[in-house]
Amino acid sequence: MAALLRGLRVGRALRGFGSVVVPKTSSPQCNGLRRGFHCAALRLQEDKDKSIPVPPSSAASSTTTYHEHYRAPPSKNNTATYMHEAPAPEAAASEAAAKEAPQPNTSYADQSGEQGEEYETEEQLQAHILNAALDFVQLHGWTLEAISAGAETLGLSAASSGMFQNGAGDLVLHFIAQCNAQLTEQMAEQHNQVQLGQAEPKKTAEFLRDAVETRLRMLMPYIDNWPQAMSILLLPHNIPDSLKHLSTLVDDIWYYAGDRSTDLNWYTKRAALTGIYNTTELVMIQDSSEDFQDTWNFLENRIQDIVNMAGAAKQVASTGEAVAQGLMGAAVTLKNLTGINQRR
Amino acid sequence: MAASIRLLARRIVRDASRTINSSVSGRIVSSSCPSNLSACRCFSDGAADKSTHFGFETVSEGEKAERVYKVFESVAPKYDVMNDAMSLGVHRLWKDMLLHVMNPQPGICLLDVAGGTGDISFRFLDYVRSQQERVARRTARANQTPSWQEISTSYTTPTEGIEMETEARESRAVVCDINKEMLKVGKQKAESMGISSGLSWVVGDAEELPFDDDQFDVYTIAFGIRNVTHIDLALQEAVRVLKPGGRFMCLEFSKVTNPLLARLYDAYSFQMIPVLGEVIAGDWKSYQYLVESIRKFPDQETFKQMIEDAGLFSVRYHNLTGGVVALHSGFKL
Repeated sequence: MAALLRGLRVGRALRGFGSVVVPKTSSPQCNGLRRGFHCAALRLQEDKDKSIPVPPSSAASSTTTYHEHYRAPPSKNNTATYMHEAPAPEAAASEAAAKEAPQPNTSYADQSGEQGEEYETEEQLQAHILNAALDFVQLHGWTLEAISAGAETLGLSAASSGMFQNGAGDLVLHFIAQCNAQLTEQMAEQHNQVQLGQAEPKKTAEFLRDAVETRLRMLMPYIDNWPQAMSILLLPHNIPDSLKHLSTLVDDIWYYAGDRSTDLNWYTKRAALTGIYNTTELVMIQDSSEDFQDTWNFLENRIQDIVNMAGAAKQVASTGEAVAQGLMGAAVTLKNLTGINQRR
Repeated sequence: MAASIRLLARRIVRDASRTINSSVSGRIVSSSCPSNLSACRCFSDGAADKSTHFGFETVSEGEKAERVYKVFESVAPKYDVMNDAMSLGVHRLWKDMLLHVMNPQPGICLLDVAGGTGDISFRFLDYVRSQQERVARRTARANQTPSWQEISTSYTTPTEGIEMETEARESRAVVCDINKEMLKVGKQKAESMGISSGLSWVVGDAEELPFDDDQFDVYTIAFGIRNVTHIDLALQEAVRVLKPGGRFMCLEFSKVTNPLLARLYDAYSFQMIPVLGEVIAGDWKSYQYLVESIRKFPDQETFKQMIEDAGLFSVRYHNLTGGVVALHSGFKL
């Protein structure tokens, strides 16, 4: 049985596989960053088309052996060519490569030829899996099943969801990081346009309202499961990360709104916006009006409150000053009247 | 021509004894390793070329495979009893931990190498089935309280009644072991537990698995890899038979980190375990081999490096019971 399989594999080897070039110059410590994911990349490129995946080379150690994932049609050629399990089958590889004309060069061992690579690191592959998993959130919720389903659409086994040690938390954090990045991009774009003079600068209140509305609109496709996501974000081991995302979001919004304060205002403004954002999110979850109109009204009102409060605070300050000055004046008058001030 | 003769010779050798064959093929690879690309391979007869360790002894590689086979042949009937006695039942927790970390989704194919008596596979099937039951219960409960929208849509669409997502995904577990005695014990256990579907038993060598490429979602090897003559070959075979995205998991005895615990553990291993072996199973030497082979196995970091060298990514390990057992996991990406 094992012999038969070996024979088949030998046959495939004869058909030629992708180049398995052992680099003479590569460092023996290639890991992590330099490892490409040829299988995954190709699968992604070819859109789940079951065409030929190229065997990935293993790490650049000098005892590399070949991997045969090449799904050539099984050959009936059982001639007893010895199976080369040796390292650096350069002779065979070069012959095979010569026959393999249309095969893209995805051997990542080839230092310069990483063109076929879209995902060069584990992080990128994980990000891609999580993106694919977002499509399944409506079906499975924010769970590992969604991640497994996403991995399967990429042609990976469902077991690869084990890569995410935080499970659903990874998915949710990835999603909000993505949304925040999108928002920041849009705000930067608007800012550029204002700089170029192509657009009118918005007033602060309006800008804040638009920014928060844009950000919350990104939740709309997932709003049915969003309570689950919020509860995941509140788990103790996720709190540091979710707080970090929230604070950078609020900071970015204020920065693009034009806030450059360096005093206590910095804190008060961000605290206020955090409060607005969180409460609006909560309102949005249970909102059943058309296009979430109630939520936007709520947001408008809250921002008005803040603006009013800011105005009121200024008035109180100036009133306070005026009152203080008045009192001082009254005290001096009294002193004059009673003659204390006069030098005898 | 020479190659065909070589193949013929190999077939003859294999007919004689499977284990000797595996050691021969292993030896061929290792002898060709030192970057020499000569097309002609020296096929020296007599498996007495390279030596390796068998416990604290040094033996030739061919001999090691044979002796390991004999060890497990003799311990097979009392294997589970001895596991409980030696680890005071903790091995069940270790295996449960393996399943917990694996967290298999329904529909997954498991290959349990050196699975012998089938502990991991039984747990796997239990886990998957209970998960499926839980999902089924959840959908049933969700269907009991439909929202108004769902009711209204069910009026408009031609209703097929309450639809449960029929998961046509059956999980499978394949137990592979080089030793027929261990598989026999496992099969008897399966019969007594009443598990009939989703489980198959295959005789095979971890260094040369009788499976095609890209077959399995998860490959586990629990307390077996230290008995393999060429660990790197076993790792390469694991990479071969795993699907892309598949997971390799290895549960194995490893180095204890805490020095006090290490001393206690050493004392227990060398004083108690062979005695238990003699008393319960009537076999001192096998259990002496057991504890010695644990000492010879590389430590957590070295083994992690070996796994990465074989081509697996995202390799991590967890120490269980203070390092007595380590659970390594890697992905084929």
